[in-house]
Amino acid sequence: MATLSARGRVLQVDLRGDAVRAVQGAMVACTGEVEFTGAGLGGGDGLRAALRRKAAGEGLALMECSGTGTVHLAVEARHVEVVDLAGDTLSVESESLLAVTPGLRLDVRFAGLGGLSSGQGLATTTVTGTGQAALLSDGPAIALEVAPGRSLVVDPDAFVASRGSLTTTLVSGISWRSLVGEGSGEPFSLRFDGTGVVLVQPAER
Amino acid sequence: MPFESVNGKVVRAHLGTGRTVLSRRGAMLGYQGEVAFRPVSGTGGGGVRGVVGAALAGESQPMMAATGSGSVLYGLRGLHVTVVDLDGRSPLLVEADRLLAHDADLQTSVQLIGSGGLRQAVRGAATGQGLFTTRVAGAGAVALLSHGGTFALPVRPGEVVVVDPQAYVASVGALSVELRARVGWRDAVGRGSGEAFQLQVTGSGTVHVQASENKL
Repeated sequence: MATLSARGRVLQVDLRGDAVRAVQGAMVACTGEVEFTGAGLGGGDGLRAALRRKAAGEGLALMECSGTGTVHLAVEARHVEVVDLAGDTLSVESESLLAVTPGLRLDVRFAGLGGLSSGQGLATTTVTGTGQAALLSDGPAIALEVAPGRSLVVDPDAFVASRGSLTTTLVSGISWRSLVGEGSGEPFSLRFDGTGVVLVQPAER
Repeated sequence: MPFESVNGKVVRAHLGTGRTVLSRRGAMLGYQGEVAFRPVSGTGGGGVRGVVGAALAGESQPMMAATGSGSVLYGLRGLHVTVVDLDGRSPLLVEADRLLAHDADLQTSVQLIGSGGLRQAVRGAATGQGLFTTRVAGAGAVALLSHGGTFALPVRPGEVVVVDPQAYVASVGALSVELRARVGWRDAVGRGSGEAFQLQVTGSGTVHVQASENKL
């Protein structure tokens, strides 16, 4: 079973005979027997997922690292977090995904018109199954808890990932003030209701 | 302790009797005590020939020497700083623009990258690795610049460590660093893994790798 472990800004992947999918070109160093191949059309999740991803514009170029060695992955000195999944679903911003172990499936979920105005595309990437997923964030990410009656509002540009049974709505703060250039600089925000955890990065894309 | 880390991006050098520190010109952030700075041309050492050679190789950085008694803070452009202590037995190979500061008694010289002759050199140029690298020998401390900090990977005999050319920072020990192209038909049709060029490190020693594929 391949394992992912976060070392600050570097992800260490012990392959142990498995094939781990990661963002193309993210390898900074590796030891032992490791083979890199393009993950093929659709990134290895089948044609339907590939078509959906294409339609949604959630570009995600993946490669497959296989073998018995150890791979170190890093992207532009961004911080790395590892999330363990046990059959549940993680929603993640596609540019925040770094690597997934073989038991996980990537798909695209349409978020409705919500994504249009936030510049995050119309869809978010979902990771489902049992295994580990590694996420990237600009600066160390913080986990914020959402509980019934305690909804959470975050900046769409700072959103990294969320898990749990959450409903997402886009809140617009546009008023006549923003039209005359006197806005607060926060025209849109994402609102989470339900039970779950939201990861937020200390930077805005 | 010759260089003391203040945080991930700033180091403090303690100057004492007879201890001079060479650094990138303009990398001084502040100092305490009686410290004098004077410019040094080239990478230092090697006389006029060394300076001219370094300039020709593109491996020259304007340096300055700090002398006196006190302490100096060094940092550059918000980049992370790694301190490497050399025991005098094995030299450090690094690109000149990654050298932030080092003890003045260390000898620096410019050498051709790799041992594969012209072919190796052409490959070096093709991947932006450069034709030349700076060799730092002697006993003392070196402060290196990196984007996102570095981690050290040990290299043991009979083992190959593969490093992305853009993420390679420095190596210490009896190592051979060779560039290898792994361009297959997949890359030609745009279905490659994005890892076509790799540095293969063999021998015994340590490689320092940064957490980013941004060159400085």
